[in-house]
Amino acid sequence: MIKVEDLNVRFGQKEILKDINVEIEHSKWTCLVGPNGAGKTTFLKTLLGSQSYSGSITDSGAEVYGNHDRNVAFVPQQPQIPIGMSVSEYVMLGRSKRDGWGNESKKSRTLVADILKLTGLFGMLNQFVSQLSGGEMQRALIARALAQEPTLILLDEPTSALDLHHQIAVLNNIELLKERGVTIVSTMHDITLAAMYAEKIVVMQEGKVLLSGTSDFVIHSPELQVAFENRISVFTLDSGRQVIVAKKDLSN
Amino acid sequence: MKKLGSEGVISPIWNWKITAASFSLLIFVLFLAISFGPVPLEFQKIIRTLFGLPGGLTGQERTLLIDLRLPRALLAVIVGAALATSGAVYQTVFRNPLADPYLLGAAAGAGLGATIAITSAGADLYSLLPIFSFFGAILAVLVSFFISGKFFAEPNSLLLSGIAVGSFATAVQTYLQQRNSSSLRPVYSWILGELTVANWQKVTWSSIYIFIALTILITVSKQLDGLMLTDEEAFSLGINPNRLRVIAVIAATLATATAVSASGLIGFVGIVVPHLVRGITHRVTNRGLLTIALVGASFLVLADLGARTLLSPAELPIGVITAFVGAPFFLVVLRKKRLVSK
Repeated sequence: MIKVEDLNVRFGQKEILKDINVEIEHSKWTCLVGPNGAGKTTFLKTLLGSQSYSGSITDSGAEVYGNHDRNVAFVPQQPQIPIGMSVSEYVMLGRSKRDGWGNESKKSRTLVADILKLTGLFGMLNQFVSQLSGGEMQRALIARALAQEPTLILLDEPTSALDLHHQIAVLNNIELLKERGVTIVSTMHDITLAAMYAEKIVVMQEGKVLLSGTSDFVIHSPELQVAFENRISVFTLDSGRQVIVAKKDLSN
Repeated sequence: MKKLGSEGVISPIWNWKITAASFSLLIFVLFLAISFGPVPLEFQKIIRTLFGLPGGLTGQERTLLIDLRLPRALLAVIVGAALATSGAVYQTVFRNPLADPYLLGAAAGAGLGATIAITSAGADLYSLLPIFSFFGAILAVLVSFFISGKFFAEPNSLLLSGIAVGSFATAVQTYLQQRNSSSLRPVYSWILGELTVANWQKVTWSSIYIFIALTILITVSKQLDGLMLTDEEAFSLGINPNRLRVIAVIAATLATATAVSASGLIGFVGIVVPHLVRGITHRVTNRGLLTIALVGASFLVLADLGARTLLSPAELPIGVITAFVGAPFFLVVLRKKRLVSK
């Protein structure tokens, strides 16, 4: 269990996260949703342990800030793409912490080959990452996270800038991690997709958590409308699946 | 080269045979450099002399080898290794393939220091020039660090303050030169780089600093790959990116400042060599840093050989040779789009 208690984050005078109290269950997919500027990415960074904070975040009882003992994978929304680095070299970076930097074992090299096959990247393992398309790059990021064999994976908008087909492909790849017992925390703009994949949704607005709970509970909560300033509509399809769409706002 | 993953297993990221081959190349090039010249020295006799065996070089040839060619070639080894390694490290730290060792104002600072030495010390300039240029380079980089308050948040801010400090130092240098027009020629000669004044004393002190700097850089080289990612990704892979960045920049600056003070401004080594090694090996990992150092050493030994033999008995400034090779190389690399993303 990851316990977040009275979490506050400030950048200078600006309060980014305010009094957050949330519990994140292990081996489940938790999704952070909310409008731009809600503090979702900062929250992910604090969960990673790279961002200083006041309050407490404990993962299995250990405080997370500056803690390198955990094995956490981080997939950024805008990755830094190393120029001239091949796909295999990039994915192999995921093994650095387990094997020790610069010492990839044969087991790791076999594992990475398997992961590249699983993510459909084996055919392009000698290609430069800078030459990959948006969808392929997302798969490379997921592949590197898989190679890390993490206990927790943090994903910042993993499906942004992808077409629907690639969104589903990437999310299915992330689900593979959940099947292996990995805890997943992601941010996502598309609440419909979030509800499809995540067991728990945390709704954020202006650095605060408005509500959190199961996907079904959150979708039908009035607070979700508040978070998005009443600009979304929830529809239920014949299949019973809920779809959330933006309202056509005539006032703007 | 064997295709990666051809057997369902990814090949090792770095093949240490490449490092061994580059070491052999350096030994070969070194012997080439000390035997070639207006007075050729026989290979076997050099070996005999170096190992103290009978049948070696004559007294005059021995003086030529021990007092002139050997320190000069070894200085080229030290300076070439320092510049190539620093260039590769700066390119990783600043995530910029065009970064070179002189980026943070080290060159301009060293230039200003050298100009002060030349314009104020008069005839005794060479005894003071290395010290002045060394401290000039270190001071310029420290000022760049000081101005760039946001260094820890954004590496590019350090890069920009380095450019500003470099411009300021160059302006002061130009002012001093204009006030002392008699110093134009020695300053110009120093700017183009030179190994002609190599001696054992210079080899000894520069090798101490550069050995320390390169040992630090090669020790952290494996982790440097993490700096090619975002800071959060690097953290998730067990790295403290800010601490690693500071260690790398300080060590690379020490190597650069020492190289500049020992041999003047020799351009392009820090850009050409890292990209050459990466291009040949198809690997950007900093595990290749030792290889880059060895190839950098070989490159500068060869460039110096060209500088003293192409117009023999006259000499070309070594910076002319490295630029002559470096500039077209750069264009070829850009044309192949190896440096740029699509």
